[in-house]
Amino acid sequence: MSLADVQITLAPNALVAHVTGEVDMSNAEEMGATVIGATPNEARGVVLDLSAVEYLDSAGIYVIYGIRSSLQARGQALILVIPPRSPVHDALRLAGAEHPGEVTEQVEEALRVIEDAGRTD
Amino acid sequence: MARHARRVSHTCEVAEIHPEPMRRGRLGSGQIALEPPAVLTEQPEEVRSSYLFSDPALAELPLERLLDELLNRIQEALSVDTVAILLLDDDAQQLVARAAKGIEEEVERGVRIPIGRGFAGRIASERVAIFIADVDHADILNPILREKGIRSLLGVPLIVEGNLIGVLHVGSLTPRTFGPDDLGVLQLAAARAAPAIERASLSARLRHEHSVSIALQRSLLPKGLADFTSVPVAARYLPAREEVGGDWYDVIELPRGRVGVVIGDVVGHGIAAAALMGRLRTALHAYSIEGHGPGRTLELVDRFVQSLNEPAMATAAYAVFDMYTSKVAYATAGHLPPIIVSPTGARVRDVPPAPPLGAFPYGRCPEHEFTLESGEMLFLYTDGLVERRGVPLTDGIETLCRSLDDSASPEEACLAAVADMLPVAGLQDDVAVIALQNRPVPSELHLRLPAEPKTLARVRRLLRRWLIERGADEEAVAEVTIAVSEACANAIEHAYPPSPASFELDAWGHDGEVTVAVRDRGRWRAPRGLNRGRGLSIIIAAMDDVQIDRMESGTEIVMRRRLRHR
Repeated sequence: MSLADVQITLAPNALVAHVTGEVDMSNAEEMGATVIGATPNEARGVVLDLSAVEYLDSAGIYVIYGIRSSLQARGQALILVIPPRSPVHDALRLAGAEHPGEVTEQVEEALRVIEDAGRTD
Repeated sequence: MARHARRVSHTCEVAEIHPEPMRRGRLGSGQIALEPPAVLTEQPEEVRSSYLFSDPALAELPLERLLDELLNRIQEALSVDTVAILLLDDDAQQLVARAAKGIEEEVERGVRIPIGRGFAGRIASERVAIFIADVDHADILNPILREKGIRSLLGVPLIVEGNLIGVLHVGSLTPRTFGPDDLGVLQLAAARAAPAIERASLSARLRHEHSVSIALQRSLLPKGLADFTSVPVAARYLPAREEVGGDWYDVIELPRGRVGVVIGDVVGHGIAAAALMGRLRTALHAYSIEGHGPGRTLELVDRFVQSLNEPAMATAAYAVFDMYTSKVAYATAGHLPPIIVSPTGARVRDVPPAPPLGAFPYGRCPEHEFTLESGEMLFLYTDGLVERRGVPLTDGIETLCRSLDDSASPEEACLAAVADMLPVAGLQDDVAVIALQNRPVPSELHLRLPAEPKTLARVRRLLRRWLIERGADEEAVAEVTIAVSEACANAIEHAYPPSPASFELDAWGHDGEVTVAVRDRGRWRAPRGLNRGRGLSIIIAAMDDVQIDRMESGTEIVMRRRLRHR
């Protein structure tokens, strides 16, 4: 079994990456490279859906920061989907890293954030 | 040799040589059908020839050596320069040169003669012995016969139980008239050789199919079983003595601490059954990792079988064990009932089976749930293990239960089943078995673990089970797990050469608390970057008390936390 899976879908102005499974030092870097590699230049931003992640550790958190800075360098936004009381939420709380990026509770909400940002541009 | 004296005139009569009705066609030019001697005169020569071709030792030889030996004996008995055996390729309706002496080129060039044409082709289609006195003036298809300078030829059909299997012919480089005695010897050789050739080539074909199927089957079954630490799994596949079949097993690692085990049996035998087995195993595996439960997975495999447009049927059972709840979700499509092996003995677990895969369109496959108590084993098997002629199936299953009674592990269960259930004479049917155990979690953990990233997921699974077993609440399970996993990640990062590529983990409980110690033998490296620093923050935030001991010999992190209501 691969520990985690990343499923990529393209919305009109954004890329949505749904991550499932467990993210640790064995697969975190690949997860990050997959998301960055799949993001088209014309996308305004990336929605990283972590709501179905069962486990995430410091290596995973590090990679989320890495994704954010890569996107920032390309002028693209990163919106995280992290429901309260989810494993990712708890890991971020324990690490004292509550805000690795803009956080929403649902993918639809995250897409709206990217749309609205586009309109005000 | 003296036998040359027995030459007869080539004007000998054209006559029926077989008492059975035969089609009589026009023979090719220069060809003469011969009549055999009515009774083989019991001259010493005939007795010797008779022995030459009925030597029991011939029956023992594999095909290639048998043909070689027969050629030698015929060449000797008839004092001829060339001998050749051509065997029938039924599909192509051609004779194929299989073995030759004196005209080895026939085999090397892969000579093929159409039935009904030329010298050998006529022998095959007419089923008569043919004598050619002068090759130059005869209807000969095969150029090699002329190239080699063969002057005279005598050939007979090889017939087994009324079926033509090939042609045997001999040749002379000097003009020679083969007479009734020569024909007698050659026909005797043909009569003895034909069944032996048939048997040997059949067994060569079977052996070929058998080895191909076994290789195929091996490649279709899982190579090694994943290491689940606290959920041991063992399995066996045993091919039948004569033929492989379509039995299979599989182990599927699923998210959230679940392990799937599969047993299946494709109806039928041989390469076709083994190939279908490979497709069904793949289909089932693929549907299951899509996230479907056992019942829906089997329903989808059934739809897959229905879509094949070929008659195909199989039985299968699929069980998913949840290592955190000890629950088994189980579905069966016409398969034999599972056996539960507990410390007090083995018993059949009755689960109503759905119809076999491929049996009815839109078959439903309900899912059943039961608990596999700590220490219990789930044992799945195919019918080859329990089916014996003249013995009721229930008796076979009962016997299997008794042989599993004392098994304490999946490996022991597989060994016991194979040792007790397999017939001395070998298996008529192939057998697959698989066993999974809900191994009791020890009250203390003392582990030496390989310092590699993939160890982390294994440690987390074992630790979660251990924490649940010790009564930890959900929050404690999650927080201790992440803290220990971070400590292990730290140890793995320390394990760079020349440090040993392993680290140690100990865990014990006391007064509603747990203590976990993670120890490596590497040299301490200061946290590098935000990442490792964050790991340490997680450990400190998740646990009640954390001691980090950095020694010359390595680093030890000892962590303590309450199991409930922090």
